[in-house]
Amino acid sequence: MRLKIIAYTILIFLTVLIQSTLGSYINVYGVKPNITIVVIVVVALLRNNIEGAVVGFFCGLLQDSASGMVIGFYALLGLYLGLTVSSLNKKLYRENVLIAVFLTFVFSVIYEYLVYFLNTFLRSPLGFIYPMQKVIIPEAIYNCVISIFVFIIVVKMHRRFEEFDKNSRRY
Amino acid sequence: MLRLIKSKIFILLIISIALLVTIGFSSMRNSRVNYISDIFSTILSPFQRFINSSGDKINDFFAHFDDIDRLRKENELLKQRIDELETEREDLIEFKVKNEELRQALNIKDQYSDRESIGANIIAKDMGNWFNIFTIDRGTKDGMKNDYPVVTSKGLVGRVMKADLFSSKVISIIDEDSSVSARLSKTSDLVIVKGDNKLKDQGLCIMEYIPADVDVAVNDSVETSGMGGIYPKGIIIGKVKEVRQRTNELDRYAIIEPSVDFKRLEEVLVLKEKNSNSEAGENNR
Repeated sequence: MRLKIIAYTILIFLTVLIQSTLGSYINVYGVKPNITIVVIVVVALLRNNIEGAVVGFFCGLLQDSASGMVIGFYALLGLYLGLTVSSLNKKLYRENVLIAVFLTFVFSVIYEYLVYFLNTFLRSPLGFIYPMQKVIIPEAIYNCVISIFVFIIVVKMHRRFEEFDKNSRRY
Repeated sequence: MLRLIKSKIFILLIISIALLVTIGFSSMRNSRVNYISDIFSTILSPFQRFINSSGDKINDFFAHFDDIDRLRKENELLKQRIDELETEREDLIEFKVKNEELRQALNIKDQYSDRESIGANIIAKDMGNWFNIFTIDRGTKDGMKNDYPVVTSKGLVGRVMKADLFSSKVISIIDEDSSVSARLSKTSDLVIVKGDNKLKDQGLCIMEYIPADVDVAVNDSVETSGMGGIYPKGIIIGKVKEVRQRTNELDRYAIIEPSVDFKRLEEVLVLKEKNSNSEAGENNR
């Protein structure tokens, strides 16, 4: 349990740190990847729904305090993102990179649309097409590329946790 | 009852409602809930500062070799420019003296004079792709407060949105949520400069509520009007790039090219109020 908390804390902290500082260095065509989405999706895919939700929540909360306008907005989105992905994972063969990449794409699109509409629906909306072309689709593709690397890291963590669980169950 | 409390859906519901309440509270100005973000940003900011400064150093090292040749040419040009400017400066000093005399005669209060500028580095940019908020390495410890204007030597950048302990978040004028009361330098007509979602990527913003009888032309410069109490009067915002019409001739807007290059922004100045009794002013607002 302690191992998990430390590992997740480091993971979440590094994610937000990299996203907030190096995000603008690694942008392509003015679009930067959203590593927090990737981390939440991959963790939720590999682990159970409680861990998915908790990681989503804390990723969101840290993102809120690092860059959000209000506190709780990204935390709420992250919580539900983690829950949704992890409720799917029983039906899938989880330890497959392609599934992680596919889910990252789908949920990046959904997540960014939610962020976009929740922030603009009171003002004049711009419609579906413009944000999709300019931001959402490029970002989702970029996220897919990132998800491969994140997947490799999180799978290692996942196996370590499983081993640890097995050992502690024996005694 | 116990089963109800223990069920996951119930817990989820409670957390969701709690978060919605937090969102509501934190959207209010100066609310206590914002201390939560204070805690996290205090932990984050030293790391952000470290990564940013080391990234800059690496960039500088590689840029060093390209620069030498370019600098020689630039030096030549700059020397010529200095000569030009020297002569111009002498004229301007004369104007300045005259201006000050006239100002004293008219007793105009200079809004800049009760401000003091503090330099700050940008240590983090916004995480998503939607907003244009960045973090600077000065917080309430250095005397930052909400709504202090942020500028560079070229012009207006934005305002402090939220001051944490060691860092502050700055919302730039090209963000959709920002609107600045401005005026045309030529005619002193009041307009509003706003951020726009589509133009933000190109670092532009739009000017709205242009009075019908005003003649707006390309390259007219726009500056802050001093209305609204956040931005002092006379900070350059940018130049008119294009005037467009929506439906009829009266309903028009202009695209403004800010004089600040938001993509290459690294250091900014925060205009801090000199007198410490600004608390009263904040409550009155």
